[in-house]
Amino acid sequence: MASAAHVIIRKRVVILFLFVAVIMFGLGCRLMYIQFFKSSWLAENAIDQRIRDIPVEAKRGIIYDRHGRELAVSVSTESVYAIPAEIRDADETAAKLAAILSLDGDKLAAKLKKRQAFTWIKRKIDVESALAIKKLSLPGIGLTQENRRYYPKDNLAAHILGFTGIDSQGLDGVEMTFDSYLKGRAGSIVVEYDARGREIPYATHRFVPPVEGHNIYLTIDTVIQQIIERDLDRVMKDTQAKAATIIVMNPHTGEILALANRPDYNPNQFADFSPKLWRNNAVSNTYEPGSTFKVLTTTAVLGDKVVKLDDRFFDPGGIEVQGRTIHCWKHGGHGSQTFREVVENSCNTGFVTVGLKLGRDPFYRYLEAFGLGRQSNIDLPGEAKGIVINKNQVKPINIATISMGQGIAVTPIQLITAVSAVANDGLRTRPQIVREVKDRAGNTIRGFETDVVEKVVDAATAKEVKEVLESVVKNGTGKNAYVEGYRIAGKTGTAQKVGAGGYMPGKYVASFAGFAPADNPQVAMLVIIDEPVGIYYGGQIAAPVFGAAIKDIMEYLNVTQRLEENGDPEQVDPHVIVPSVINLEVSEAMKVLQKAGFNPRIEESGERVADQIPKPGSRIPKGTHVLVYTLTPRYGIGSVTVPDCIGLTLREASDILGQVGLSISPVGPGSKVAKQDPLSGSKIPSGSMITVFLE
Amino acid sequence: MGSRPKSPDPIIFCAIIALLAIGVVMVYSSSAVSAYVNFQDSYYFLKRQLIWVSLGLIAMFLTMNIDYHAWRKLAKPIMIVTLVLLVLVLVPGLGRVVNGARRWLGVGSIYMQPSEIAKLSMVLFCASSLSLRQDKITSFVKGVLPQLVVLLLVFGLILKEPDLGTALAIGGTVFVLLFTAGAKLSHLFSLGFAGVFGIISAIIVEPYRMKRLLAFSDPWSDPLDTGYHIIQSLYAIGSGGLFGVGLGRSREKFLYLPEPHTDFIFAILGEELGFIGTITIILLFFLFAWRGFKVAISAPDIFGSLMAAGLTTMIIMQALMNIAVVTASMPVTGIPLPFLSFGGSALIFTLSGVGILLNISRYVNLK
Repeated sequence: MASAAHVIIRKRVVILFLFVAVIMFGLGCRLMYIQFFKSSWLAENAIDQRIRDIPVEAKRGIIYDRHGRELAVSVSTESVYAIPAEIRDADETAAKLAAILSLDGDKLAAKLKKRQAFTWIKRKIDVESALAIKKLSLPGIGLTQENRRYYPKDNLAAHILGFTGIDSQGLDGVEMTFDSYLKGRAGSIVVEYDARGREIPYATHRFVPPVEGHNIYLTIDTVIQQIIERDLDRVMKDTQAKAATIIVMNPHTGEILALANRPDYNPNQFADFSPKLWRNNAVSNTYEPGSTFKVLTTTAVLGDKVVKLDDRFFDPGGIEVQGRTIHCWKHGGHGSQTFREVVENSCNTGFVTVGLKLGRDPFYRYLEAFGLGRQSNIDLPGEAKGIVINKNQVKPINIATISMGQGIAVTPIQLITAVSAVANDGLRTRPQIVREVKDRAGNTIRGFETDVVEKVVDAATAKEVKEVLESVVKNGTGKNAYVEGYRIAGKTGTAQKVGAGGYMPGKYVASFAGFAPADNPQVAMLVIIDEPVGIYYGGQIAAPVFGAAIKDIMEYLNVTQRLEENGDPEQVDPHVIVPSVINLEVSEAMKVLQKAGFNPRIEESGERVADQIPKPGSRIPKGTHVLVYTLTPRYGIGSVTVPDCIGLTLREASDILGQVGLSISPVGPGSKVAKQDPLSGSKIPSGSMITVFLE
Repeated sequence: MGSRPKSPDPIIFCAIIALLAIGVVMVYSSSAVSAYVNFQDSYYFLKRQLIWVSLGLIAMFLTMNIDYHAWRKLAKPIMIVTLVLLVLVLVPGLGRVVNGARRWLGVGSIYMQPSEIAKLSMVLFCASSLSLRQDKITSFVKGVLPQLVVLLLVFGLILKEPDLGTALAIGGTVFVLLFTAGAKLSHLFSLGFAGVFGIISAIIVEPYRMKRLLAFSDPWSDPLDTGYHIIQSLYAIGSGGLFGVGLGRSREKFLYLPEPHTDFIFAILGEELGFIGTITIILLFFLFAWRGFKVAISAPDIFGSLMAAGLTTMIIMQALMNIAVVTASMPVTGIPLPFLSFGGSALIFTLSGVGILLNISRYVNLK
């Protein structure tokens, strides 16, 4: 018989059992919650931690100039990664890697100790380091191929090209604006891994191949680009200016043939340069255009027939507007003159008079038609809008100053576009930087047609303006841009810079805007020199740069030289103009020169003409000797001798080839050049590709 | 009492055999990867588990055939031996340190955990001592205190190793035994408060315990450190869903979930066999609890009742704690899942306890 105590024990065991049953029921519910309601979420997360999606970089598209010369290519390079779980001794591994890659060993060790599946140690390293790491064969440390962007011509066209970041993403320039075409689509390898980074047997495997990026053909002509960059370097040295910009445009199509700024940077090492130097002043800067703007004023007043070229003006040296006297740049004024002479002399008084006569509304109609105060929509990043005073707030005094290019701010690209519109019979086109996007097979993905935005004036007025601008160069302030043999039209400009407290003493922008040939413009060009030291007049420092560059460009484009319109074709001239034979083969050059009536003499034994004396376009008597040089290429055009790259590292080889204007195409996994094609000593056209085999 | 022993309770026996069988399969499935990685032998843990199970079953058959009344006199000497072992394991040079805890004692390749013996001997000791003092149980000093003194000794020594999970399981079991034996509820409440106070002080002394405590409530706040175990455990169980990913096809055992064949074997089981598998395990433990407590209720004497209740509680408490930990229902404390987790000495002593329980069942009329 059970005692009373035993009864209590039995009761309490029942209570205990019920308590246990309740807890079990609770745990059952908890399991149901985890395995029913949270199951998919937990399973997904569990898969996420096991699946490793290793990106396979797509090869980025090549950027070519308009003739297919390479400006930006992608070279294979190695990147180092770590799978921390596989590393045996994190500190030792970190120390060894840090020594090779010049990294902070302690930080690296901390990184390697983190519990993560995969981490980059250093990406896009040089060949020597990659080889050294391969030799160590550290557990948990691996190398993988990635692409590094390489700009074979270094600084050339840097502001157009831009650069790419570590993930090969476009960060500036065309690399950025056309990134979606260039980048292609990264592929991936999907693998399921265990916690130590080994593949799980029978697990998911998938390879998604990358899609290569498209190639881009710029409107840029490398030779013209080289011409203006050379001239920019020269003018920076001569004037000690703070900055300078040149833009060359095809006025009919709106294509930018060349565009460059100084100071510049090397996109191969963009990070070593101040971000200030990355700025593309040609589209990002706004400045007061000064007298170059008078091209637009002239077009407006002639277009609305406010004035005729032969209308007479009297310049007493100044004009009073709203109680303020605007002085002409010339003390005492220009006296009595026709409107043509007003333009030739860049007479402020005259321009203020016609501008006020035109009136606010028509004037603003033209400003708008020229595209001022708005982005030109060129496909380059960071474009500014310029500043145009709000039409409703503008006073006659503002109209007066705008007439002479003050109190208005434009970007260089806006001004060249406006000047091009005059050159293009009054039709303004959208400035373009890319001609074509092609896929790897050469099929056109996207073509760029000439994009006429607006008719600014009729062709007849445009013709009048062209004429008067030609006489600015022939007879007026633009004389220094004159090049014998070519008809050049243009306008100088000198503007005092505006700072916080008004015009800044001693700080000027000298510029020249124009086009050539005047009657059938092939190129329009703008030269801007910012804060030159010493002489600061556009006519004195910008015009000569314009003249020198336009001469070389005309020669390069083989624009037939013409006598001036007022020249007498009947008159028998014993002088003949020297034709350009640069870049021709020697035999052909001989024929051309002989046919023109000269006595050619070959000074060097090359195959292709690199230079000639006298220069093309010179007027010299018939029968004179013309010296032909073959060895020193002037602008990188013509052929170059292939240097010997055998035994060099990839970097050394690409440097050497880059210096002579050749591109490099590395093949093979090694670090030293074993073979090259073409062989050293061969003569090949500049810009060609040298294939180097690395072993 | 004098009646001839019948055959033991078949339901307890079958539930245990089922749990052991599932355990062997799961130990193999969950340990194959880490066994291969660490020992280049996928069967490393399976072989050992089979040996331990065999030894455990032998121990069970032995205790099943020893009249449980024998333990009443043996309880005190066993307790003394246990205390000696618990002290020895703490002596540097004698106790073997694994994962920062000095828990193992042994020679050659044979090691055992004194704390495993402590679980069993504590139940024997309490059942014996409480049945002797059963008339004084309402007195705190004379009825309750003697067990508490021994418990504090054992608890303190195990905590010193440290092995908080086992210490808590033993403390909990003694508490349940005091309750079962008929201690005053006011005494038990006071003890409960004292326990809570103890836990709070333990946290103040070792702040990492607080982190662990918080980790279980939101493991994702520290997924790579304190929350890691629990997240991996939930990933495993959750991935299983209703029917599981299939036997042998766990992904978490690929070194994501540490110790998949010991404390977290239930998570791998949940992944491979799904809710069907986990609820089966719970039901088997429920069967065991039901029959175990039934034996306790029907036992012919107080000693038998207390023994049966204590042994059942000891096993069920560990099972519930383990399942609660792997389902993130309570803070992580290292407690193996009885019968399923890989583990040598634990299996032997647990099965010895089951043998004693089965022996009691032989003196009971169960329907």
